[in-house]
Amino acid sequence: MADVVDKVEPVVSVRDLRTYFIHKAEEVRAVDGIDLDVYRGQIVCIVGESGSGKSMTALSLMRLVPKPRGKIVSGKIMFHGVDIMQLSEAEMTKLRGNEISMIFQEPMTALNPVLTIGDQIAEVLVHHRRVGKRETTAKAVEMLQFVGVPRAEQVLREYPHQLSGGMRQRVMIAMAMICEPKVLIADEPTTALDVTIQTQVLQLMRKMRDDFGTSIILITHDLGVVADMADQVIVMYAGQVVESANADALFEEPLHPYTIALLKSVPTIDQETEVLYYIPGSVPDATEFPTGCRFADRCPLAMASCFETAPEVREVRPGHLVRCHLVD
Amino acid sequence: MIAYIIRRLLGMIPMLFAITVFVFLMMHLAPGNAIEAMINPRIKDIAALKQQLEIQNGLNLPLPLQYWHWLINVLHGNFGWSFGQHEEVTQLLGPAMYNTLILAVLSEILILLIGIPVGILQARSPYGKFDYTVSTASFVLFSVPYYVFAIFLIYLFAIHWHVFPAQNSVGTGPLAGTFVDHIWHAMLPAISIALTNNTVYSRYTRGSMLDVARQDYVRTARAKGIPERVVYSKHVFRNARIPIVTQLGFDLGGLLGGAVIIEGLFSYQGMGYLTITAVSQRDYPVIMATTLIFAVCVLLGNLVADILTAVVDPRVRYN
Repeated sequence: MADVVDKVEPVVSVRDLRTYFIHKAEEVRAVDGIDLDVYRGQIVCIVGESGSGKSMTALSLMRLVPKPRGKIVSGKIMFHGVDIMQLSEAEMTKLRGNEISMIFQEPMTALNPVLTIGDQIAEVLVHHRRVGKRETTAKAVEMLQFVGVPRAEQVLREYPHQLSGGMRQRVMIAMAMICEPKVLIADEPTTALDVTIQTQVLQLMRKMRDDFGTSIILITHDLGVVADMADQVIVMYAGQVVESANADALFEEPLHPYTIALLKSVPTIDQETEVLYYIPGSVPDATEFPTGCRFADRCPLAMASCFETAPEVREVRPGHLVRCHLVD
Repeated sequence: MIAYIIRRLLGMIPMLFAITVFVFLMMHLAPGNAIEAMINPRIKDIAALKQQLEIQNGLNLPLPLQYWHWLINVLHGNFGWSFGQHEEVTQLLGPAMYNTLILAVLSEILILLIGIPVGILQARSPYGKFDYTVSTASFVLFSVPYYVFAIFLIYLFAIHWHVFPAQNSVGTGPLAGTFVDHIWHAMLPAISIALTNNTVYSRYTRGSMLDVARQDYVRTARAKGIPERVVYSKHVFRNARIPIVTQLGFDLGGLLGGAVIIEGLFSYQGMGYLTITAVSQRDYPVIMATTLIFAVCVLLGNLVADILTAVVDPRVRYN
């Protein structure tokens, strides 16, 4: 797996990204200082529970944070050495779907119900490549076949409601990959699918990485998916990165109490106890984070100092970053 | 699709039959009849004359039989004789339907050209200056009854500026009776109808556009790098227009039946005008004819609405 990854220079490099929301006149700090590096051909998984800010991170990378309530307040998002925060909206439009693509959780609602599949795939090429109609159709058919959609030519003339959930997600992937982007952001792409279809879609994404060298940022709350797919894992909690490591290292030796708890809460077949493990409490309110560690309230190992000072991210092993007072 | 339309048209037959029964009974439940309205009350032997006229017109027959005769005649395209205007009802219906058709189509065109684009512009920057201005103006326009506007329009365009005629559906002069002349005379009533309807349609359009703009597939379109202008004109509008098109179909049906108050105000000789004239004269063959045609128009409007919906929404297929 690792031989595909080219670690010379990151394709995407994010520094101190902060995306805030205004909700009922209060500031919601959805993403609160994220650092992220993605190399060519790498699959980076962002894990975290609902409300940890992982989807907002993804939308921030596309600069598609819902306006006018949401706003990227600070940070650098470098794409191939260019800070996309400095790009105009027109330049950003040229990048989206062309250099950086995104697929979403709900294949049922992510496709336009009144346009044919062919039209929706073709328009990506029309806007980014300015190619003729015949060439567009040929490319669309080729892409649909590549993602494993049977009777591709016929599907081009069909509408989303005529396809199953798995087929729609394949169409989404075909649409996202048709311009062979350098980065694919997938926001919980398999959550809404059956387990068997999940595996197929994940396999397809891995094939994309292998064949095109695409870097993938995969957002999920499913640790099974992470174990299956990730080269690098980023664990998010309350808008921040709490742990970041190589996938093997993370599963072998998780260091942050939150990561440990997350891994413990995955049910296993040979589990002895009847009761499933869960983390008590919930993610703190993003309008008023505590002054100390954001996880302290729910942490079984919390000390007095955890409630007073917020821990910084430290590199405790080579390439293994943790935000915790306890770890050294 | 064609099979569906034929099926729907056949399905309308029992409905129409029920409507004829209803229309006929309503007319005969109303007190008094046309004979009473026709006779000069100072004539000596009223009772005898009344009886004679009733026999002449078949009004002495039992009600079901009268209905039967009327129905058979209607099926032959014969709506009877207008007591009020002393003419075949069919002769009156022809020009009235033509005038109302012009008025209805003209109103709908004005709605399409103004109400919908205004709603789209509002939705492009909601809660902006333009949106607030138009919204406020819409509520004011909608709150004022449209006949008030009609009078205002007559004053401005007909009396003050002499741009459009204030009365009748045909003019005099070299252009009299031509299509252009008809359009010319339909302008003010059409604007009156469109003014109020535009406020409704711009609100529909705005709401529908904003609703669609929140959908996941619009975010997908942006993520694909589609320019914002195209996102709105293609991805948003093609979905937002579905409920509007349906409404347009319904409204067309209603308008084709005749706009009673507006036509009355402008003495515009359409179906609505024919109806009020007939009502004031208790001219029930005419009333029954216009009521029946109104019902048919509403039914056809519903059918048109359904067909238009199927055309713009691929999820709706009638098979």
